[in-house]
Parts: sequence; structure tokens; C-alpha cells
Amino acid sequence: MKPSTRDRVTGIVGPLVVFVAFIAAWYALAYGLDNNFSPASNKPLIIPPPHRLFEDLNGITRDKIITATGISIKTSLVGLLISIVLGLALGILMAQAKWLEKALWPYLIAMQVTPIIALVPLLIKIVGANFAARVIVTVIISLFPIVSNTLFGLRSVDRNLHDLFTLHHVGRIRRLIKLQLPAASPAIFTGFRISAGLAVIGAIVGDFFFSKGDPGLGKLITFFFLNNQSGPMFITSIIAALLGLTLFIIFGVIYKVAVGRWYEESAKF
Amino acid sequence: MTLLSLRELGKVFADSTRALSNFSLDIEQNEFVSLVGPSGCGKSTVLRIGAGLETPSSGECVVDTNKVGFVFQDATLLPWRNVRDNIELLLELDNFEPVERERRVDETIQLVDLVDSVKKYPRQLSGGMRMRTSLARSLVTNPELFFFDEPFSALDEFTRERLNDELLDLFERRKFGALFVTHSIAEAVYMGSRVVVMSPRPGTITQIVSVPFPYPRRHDIRYTAQFAETCGLVSHALRQDRP
Repeated sequence: MKPSTRDRVTGIVGPLVVFVAFIAAWYALAYGLDNNFSPASNKPLIIPPPHRLFEDLNGITRDKIITATGISIKTSLVGLLISIVLGLALGILMAQAKWLEKALWPYLIAMQVTPIIALVPLLIKIVGANFAARVIVTVIISLFPIVSNTLFGLRSVDRNLHDLFTLHHVGRIRRLIKLQLPAASPAIFTGFRISAGLAVIGAIVGDFFFSKGDPGLGKLITFFFLNNQSGPMFITSIIAALLGLTLFIIFGVIYKVAVGRWYEESAKF
Repeated sequence: MTLLSLRELGKVFADSTRALSNFSLDIEQNEFVSLVGPSGCGKSTVLRIGAGLETPSSGECVVDTNKVGFVFQDATLLPWRNVRDNIELLLELDNFEPVERERRVDETIQLVDLVDSVKKYPRQLSGGMRMRTSLARSLVTNPELFFFDEPFSALDEFTRERLNDELLDLFERRKFGALFVTHSIAEAVYMGSRVVVMSPRPGTITQIVSVPFPYPRRHDIRYTAQFAETCGLVSHALRQDRP
């Protein structure tokens, strides 16, 4: 169904109102904490108001931010790719037999609920505080939605369709390829999209704990914070948010391309 | 030729529900048998045993053909395939050559009048068109024995009557044997040469009503006194088990 003009207007106006409110709250907070909003003053700002965000941004800080963004993108994507491959494999494996699902499920839940910080010393001991550790954190954070959505999707196939395939003596592998995976694909791609956002969170959280190697956005935020560079710190935070959003949107588009043609709920994002 | 022979079937499910008891029925080639009964009486279980989707707990089920078609209550199309590809599905699963697949699909699309919809996806179709596609999907394999599990029950009356006629027309051409489950007495009488009436669970046959109309049937037999009388017999048989 096509959205009506009214739906489209509320779709734009709503977020716009929230954005204006957000900027207003930002100004209120900036000036509430710190009355020193004269550009001439050299005193560092506690929270820079939006229009003074770029004051401290020079060539050096800009290069730092660009490099860190590249590194965070790399960590997120490598982690996400591993999550997708591993998550699909686990989901498919668990869908094959109830006992496999029961055997693996508690450990997935455990992985999902264990605070990352509790695993930090262990990871440092095993792989070191490096890129590999950051990728592992990314995988831990982004794996679960892919496994659970894949499993749920594969298990939710219409019983009658299974019967139809049984009537034609279709084996396990063929059934998986011709019936279960396509039927599960909306759920699977939804899982990818959720995990894409989580992968960015993982990459940035990983930076805070594992600081060896080139700094990603998380580490850079800490660096700017310690150096009292509020403006660049804020910009880096915003880039981190935009990075998550961008990945989420890209996977939304992938979802639409993959299943939008036939899947009814594709209008809902 | 007897295509399906059910002998004293009994079925007890794992939760010890007794679904069927002493159910015996034969279906010949070129015979259309309707099956009615109160809900939960095991009608679907009879179909599922006949199609080999369930095994009986007692008795035997002999099917004398390997070309069996099954039409479900819902169209159960694959939503990611368009009409044409849905109709092709079973030929694909049965490993037919692409050329033969194409020939048969084309023929079936003509037969069930889906020419204008081949490129559409199931979500773009009305309930009637979906069911027509579902019928076509089964027909394409040229079944000799057909099981229908309340296929038209979700449709509006007008569409249902049209599909009744289309199905009877296909029956005339293809001369398959059919076991047709429905919860509509009028539909059972209109479609079948015999109407098998079942008792509540555990389901068994309480009566078989012969339908006195030859094929091909025209829709105006529905409004004859004889049709009403036959429906009355079926209705009466259905009430017999009630206290």
C-alpha cells in the first residue's frame, strides 16, 4: 500500500519537530552549564553549542577523525561479516533438530547477557588488546539477533508447505534451499539490520577496552575528552552515531531489495 | 480401477486422542467423493493418511498410483514466487526437464485461465485467484488421485460456486479420482457422486448418500427439489449422532 500524502507529511514533520527540540535542549544544556559563550574566550567549553562545534577542528584533529572513522568502519564490517556467517550457520544448525537448539541456546543467551566488561581481562589474556579483540567484542554484541531471527524464520514455515514438500519426497538440504531459507529471508534480513547497528556499537565499545593499534572512534572520543577538546569530541560522537545509522539504513535497503518485491510487511521499516 | 482403498482405518494420536475408528472407503478412477462431518471428526486425518502424510494406527491404506495431488484449505503458495513459478514448483521438485516443465506449465495456465496473472506475486492476487493458482500447481503434475481439504471454505459464495464449476470441469477432462472434504452440505452434494458422512470423534462412516445427478452438472441443479432433498438426507445423517 502506498503511503498517503498525510502519512508522508507526518513522517517528515514528526522527526523534524523532535530534531528542533533536540537542538533547543542542546543549547539550553550548553548555556546552562557554561555561560561563557563568547567566541573570543579561550576557556575550554564544557559542552559546545551547535554553532561552535567546529571551532577546535583543525587539520590534525580532522585527520585523526577520518582515520578513526575508517578503522571503526573496518572493525564493524569485519565483525558484522563474521556474525552473519556464524549466525546463519548456527541458526541453520539449530533449526535442524530440537536437541541441537536446546543444546546451544543457553550458551547464546549467556553470551548475550554477559556484560562485555566481564570478558575484557579474558580477551586480553587470550588475543591481546588489539584489533582481534575489538572484532570479537563486535561479534559478541551483534551475533544474537542473526541467530535468533534465522532460527525463528526457519521454524515458522507453514506446516502445509512442509507437507507439500514431503509429498514430493524432498530431502533436508533441498527443503532448506527451496523452502525454508526463502521463507525465512524477511526475518533473516531483519536480523542483519538489527545486527548492523549493533556491530557499530561493538566496534566503539571495543575501543574503550582494547586500545592497542590504531585508534577507532571510541578511543578517539576518550582522547579528545582527556585533552579537553569538547568540539572534536562531540563531532566524533556524532560520527559514531551516524555510522550506526548509515549501516542500519544500508541494511534496510538490502532488505527491501531482497524481499520487498514479494513480502507484504516490507513497507514497515 | 480402485485408486484408493482404505480398510478399517484407526488412528490414535500421540496424545491418545482417538481420531478415527473402523473407517473403510474405496475411491475409483473418475469418481468424485465428498466427505463431510462435524469439525474435529478426523476428515483431514483421512486425507492425510490417504496421501501418506500420516500412518494409520490400525487397518491399511492402499494407494494404486504414484500421482497424488493435494489441495489445502489455504492456497499455501510460495510468496516469493510469482504465479508461473508457483505452478512450476512441483515439477521442479519432481526433477522434470525444463522443456517439459515449461510445456506443462503453459498448458495448465491455459486450462485454469491464469494467463493474465502469470507474473503476479501471491500478495497481489485475490483469494479466488490464489486458490486457482493452488489448483493449477497440483494439476500440473497430472494427478490420478486428488485430495481436497476444504479448498474453497475461505472464499465468498460467488467465487466458491465458480471454482466448484471449474473443478468439476477439470474432473470431466482429467477423470481423476477425488476425495473432497468440505463443511458445506450443498457443496458436498454439488460436487460428489457420493457424500460420505462421518460421526464425531473417533470418526467413522455413519452413512453414504448417493447423489442422483449425472456429470456434467450445471449450476442450476442447486435449485431443484431433488438437490434439496439430497442435502436433507446428508443433513439428517449428520444429526443422527446427536442425543
